[in-house]
Amino acid sequence: MNAVRLSLPIFFIVVSLVLAILTLQLPHAQLGNPYGPMYFPLVVSIGLFLFSVIDLIKTRHYFGKENEDLKALLKKETLFTLGVILALCLLYTLIFERVGFLLSTVIFLAAIMFFLNGKKKWMLNIIVTLVVSGSSWYVFSYLLEISLP
Amino acid sequence: MWKKIAMMSSALLVVVACSNSSGSSPESFPEQAIEIIAPATPGGGWDMTARSIQRAMNADGSVDQDITVVNKPGGGGEVGWQYLNQQDGHFAAVNSSLLVTGNLLDQSDLTHEDFTPLAMLSTEWLAVATHRDAGFSDGTELMDQLREDPQSLTIGVSPSLGSGNHLAFVQAAVESGVDPTELQFLVYSSGGDIMNALLGGHIDVTSNSMSDLSEQYEVGEIDILAVTSPERLESFPDIPTWEEQGIDMVFPHWRGIMGPADMPEHEVEAWDEWLSNMVETDEWQTVLDNYDLEDFYMSSGETGQFFEEQQDFFAEIIEQAGLSP
Amino acid sequence: MDLSFVLDGLWTALQPINLLWLIIGAILGTIVGILPGLGPATGVAVLIPLTFGMEPVSALILMAAIYYGALFGGSRSSILINTPGDGSSIAATFDGYPMTKNGQAGQAMSIAAMASLIGGVMAIFGFIFLAIPLANFALNFGPAEYLFLFFFALSAVVALSIGNMVKGFITMFLGLGISTIGIDLQSGVHRHTFDIPHFTEGISFVVIIIGIYAIGEVLYNMFANKQPKDVDGSKIGQKWFTKEQWRRSIAPILRSGPIGFFLGVLPGSGGTISSLLAYSTEKQISKNKKQFGKGAVEGLVAPESANSSAAVGSLIPMLTMAIPGSATTAVMLGALVMIGITPGPLLFENSPDLVWTLINSMFIGNIILVIINIAMVGVLVKILKTPPKVLYPIVLILSFIGAYTLGYSTIDFYILIIAGVIGLFMRLLDYPIVPLILALIVGGEMEQNLRRALVIYDQPVDMLFASPITIVLALLTLLSFSYPLIIKLVKRASKNKDHTVDL
Repeated sequence: MNAVRLSLPIFFIVVSLVLAILTLQLPHAQLGNPYGPMYFPLVVSIGLFLFSVIDLIKTRHYFGKENEDLKALLKKETLFTLGVILALCLLYTLIFERVGFLLSTVIFLAAIMFFLNGKKKWMLNIIVTLVVSGSSWYVFSYLLEISLP
Repeated sequence: MWKKIAMMSSALLVVVACSNSSGSSPESFPEQAIEIIAPATPGGGWDMTARSIQRAMNADGSVDQDITVVNKPGGGGEVGWQYLNQQDGHFAAVNSSLLVTGNLLDQSDLTHEDFTPLAMLSTEWLAVATHRDAGFSDGTELMDQLREDPQSLTIGVSPSLGSGNHLAFVQAAVESGVDPTELQFLVYSSGGDIMNALLGGHIDVTSNSMSDLSEQYEVGEIDILAVTSPERLESFPDIPTWEEQGIDMVFPHWRGIMGPADMPEHEVEAWDEWLSNMVETDEWQTVLDNYDLEDFYMSSGETGQFFEEQQDFFAEIIEQAGLSP
Repeated sequence: MDLSFVLDGLWTALQPINLLWLIIGAILGTIVGILPGLGPATGVAVLIPLTFGMEPVSALILMAAIYYGALFGGSRSSILINTPGDGSSIAATFDGYPMTKNGQAGQAMSIAAMASLIGGVMAIFGFIFLAIPLANFALNFGPAEYLFLFFFALSAVVALSIGNMVKGFITMFLGLGISTIGIDLQSGVHRHTFDIPHFTEGISFVVIIIGIYAIGEVLYNMFANKQPKDVDGSKIGQKWFTKEQWRRSIAPILRSGPIGFFLGVLPGSGGTISSLLAYSTEKQISKNKKQFGKGAVEGLVAPESANSSAAVGSLIPMLTMAIPGSATTAVMLGALVMIGITPGPLLFENSPDLVWTLINSMFIGNIILVIINIAMVGVLVKILKTPPKVLYPIVLILSFIGAYTLGYSTIDFYILIIAGVIGLFMRLLDYPIVPLILALIVGGEMEQNLRRALVIYDQPVDMLFASPITIVLALLTLLSFSYPLIIKLVKRASKNKDHTVDL
C-alpha cells in the first residue's frame, strides 16, 4: 500500500526532471530572445519538482493507515479486471483505424461485455453490442457527418 | 515510445496504401466517391475552403460520384497531406503557401514536389494596419520610423512566424531598407486576437489579411496603410498598394488544391475539367465575395510552374527574415 | 433602442420555421452537451453544411441554440455519472454528483436547468443593455491583464483544495507542463513534440478531461469493493426540486450570472474559468461551506448559472467586433461569413432586425431548453438504473468516439488511456484534478501573454502596474492564496476563545 502511495510523488518528480531535460535541449529561438521558449517550461519543472518533493516527504504521515480503496486496488481480482480492460482499450486503439470503426467497436464491446457479464448473459451482451455500435455509427457518421474510419 | 508507434502505424499505412493504389482506367475514373481532404479541424479556413469546393462542385455537377470532405488536422497541414499521399486520384487536399514555407522553415519534410498540383483557386491580399490614433498616413512613413528605430513599434502577426502575414511585412521592410530581424513581432493565434490587441492599443501595427481587417476599417477604427495586391482592390479603392508607394512587391496569400504524387495523366485531366467548371459556378463566386477573396484560378500545369516560382520567392524572404534553419 | 425592432425581432423569431430550427438546435445542443467530447464547437461545425441552404437569420438562431443548449446538456452527465464531457461542465461534478449519490439526481438536474435558464436570461439582458460598452471595456485586456486574470483563476482553483494545497500546486504545475507541448507561438520552436505532427498543435484538454473523468470513473468502478452494487432504483428521488433547495439557490444563481457574463465577454476566457470561479466564489462566501463537495445545491447552481451566461456573453465580441472569444464562436463566425452575414461593428447598425431576432430567439430558446431538460429528467435518471456493467462499456465507447472527433487520430486514444490511469491514481491518493485541467486550459495563453508582456514592458514589475485591472486582479490573487491561511487563523482564534464552537 505504501508503494502505491509513493508512486505518484515519485512519478511527478520523474516528470519534472524529464521536462527540465527536454527543455534544456530545445533549440534556441531564431528571432527575439533565444532562450524565450525555455523560461516557462523550466519554471514549471522547478515548481513541479519542489512541490513533489514536499509531497513525497509528507507521504510518510499516511504510512500504515488503512484505506478501503487502496486495499481493493491491490486485490488480485481488481488488478486482473483493470488489466484486461486496459488491454482491451489498447487493442481497440490499435485496430480502430485498420479495420474501421464499426468492426473494431463490435469486437471491443463484445469482448468487454462478455468479460464483465459472463457467458450466461450472452443475449444481453450481443444486443447491447450491436445496438450501441450500430446506433453510435449511425449518429456520428450519418447524422453528424463526422468522418469515421 | 511515441516514435515507435508512429513508425509502426506509418509502416502499416504504407502497406495499406500500396495495396489499393492500383491505377484507374481513363474510361471509368472516378470509380468511387471523390474526397476532399481538409488538413484542419472543422470550422477553420482550410475546412471552409474544402467545404466550399464540395458545395460548388456539387452545384456544377460535372462529377457523377459523391463528393465528401474529410478532416485530417494536425502539424500545420502535414498530417492531412501525408494522408493524401497514401491515397489515389479520387482524393485531393486543400493547400496554401504553408506547403512551400513549411519545408523552408524546417517544420515539415513535405514539399510541393511530393504532390501533383491540380489547381490554384483563390487568393486574399494582405495589408498593414494601425490604430486610427497612431497617425501614420502611409506605409512609407511607417517604414521610415522603423528604419530610425526598429524597436519603436510592436507588430502583431498571426498565426505564426513564417506565415504569409509575417513574411509579407518582412518583404516590405526589406524593400524599405529596414532590418527585419531587429523588428519586434508579437505572435497571436488568430486574426481576431490581433484585432482585439490592435483596438485595445496593446500592439501598434499588424500585418493581416484584408478580410480580417475590412470590418474595422469600414467604421474607421483602424487605418490601412498599404495592401500587397498589384493594383488597388475593387472593393477598397482608397487603399494604396505597396507598388504605388515605391515598394516593389506583390504578395498573394493563395489557396489551391492538389492530388497525391504520381497521378496518371487522365486523372489530372479530369480534375482540370471539374475544377475549371467549378470556379465558374455562382456558388464559388458567392464564396469569394463573402470571404473577401479574389479569383486566382490556374490550371494544373500553370500551378506547377507557380509552385516553382513561389519556392524561390519564399526561400529568399525566409532567409531575409532570419528564419532559415 | 427602438421598440419596433424589438417587436419585429420577436415576430421573426416566432415564425414557425425559425421556431422549428430553434427547437432542433436546442435538442441537438442538449445531445452534444451530454455526449463526452462533443462540445458546442463540434456541434456547430458539423451543421455548417446544413446552414448553406438556410435563411441567414435561421442559421444564426440554430447555431446560437446549439451553443447555449450544449451548456444545459453538459451538466447532465456530470451530475449522473460524474463524467463531464467538456471543461465548462467540470464544476457540475463537484456537488452535482454527490447529490446523485444522496439520491437527489432528479432534483439536481431540474434545479441545474433552472440555474442555466436564469443565468442565460440575465446574460440576455446584459446583452441588450451592455453589449457595446462591455465589448469596448474588454479591449482593455492586453497581455498583462490576461496574465493576471489567469493567475487569479489558477489561484482560486488551487485554493479550493484547502488543506491539500501542496497537491493542488503539483497538479497545477503538471497541467502547465503539459500545456507547453506543441509549437511555441512566439518563436516557432517545436517543444516536446517528439516529431509527431499531431502534437504540434498541443494536447487537447478535452481528451484529458474525458480520460481522467470518464475512463478514470469506469476503472474506479471496476474495483473489487464496488463490484456487485447495482444502483438502487428507489434512490433516484423526486424530479422536482424542493422549496428549500430553491430558497438556498436563488442568491448563488443571481450572483454567478454576472460573473459568467462578464468573463464570457472577455475573449479567450470562456465557460470553464467562469464556472470554476463562480464555484470558488460561492464556496468562499457561503454559510454552508462545509457541505460543499458533499451535495450542496449552491455548489451546483452557481457554476451552471455562470457557464450559461458566459455563452451568451461570448457572443458579444463575436457579433460586435468579429472577434471570436471561444472555439465555438470562432466556428460560428466562419459559418456566418460563409452564409453572408458579416459580424462586426456594422452589424448592429445595418441589420438590427437580425440582432433583435437573435435576442428574442435566445429568450424563447432558453425557455424551450428548460422545458426539454426538465422533461428529460425522467428519461435520464433511468441511466442510473442501467446496470453498471452495461453502462460502463458504453461510456468507454462514447469516450473513444468523442476523443476521435476532436483530433481525428488514434494518438489521442493513447492519451485518453494514460490520462485515465493517472487520473485513477490521482483520485485514489487525493490529488485534486481541477487545477490540472484549468492549468492545461489556460497554460498556453498564460505563457504567450507573459512573453508578449515581456516584450511590451521593459521591466517585469511594470506589468503589475500596467492598469487598474492588473492591480485589482493581483490583489484578488493574493487574497485567494491567503484565504485558506486566514481561515485557519480565524478557526484557531475562535477555538481558543470558545471551545464549544467546534468547526
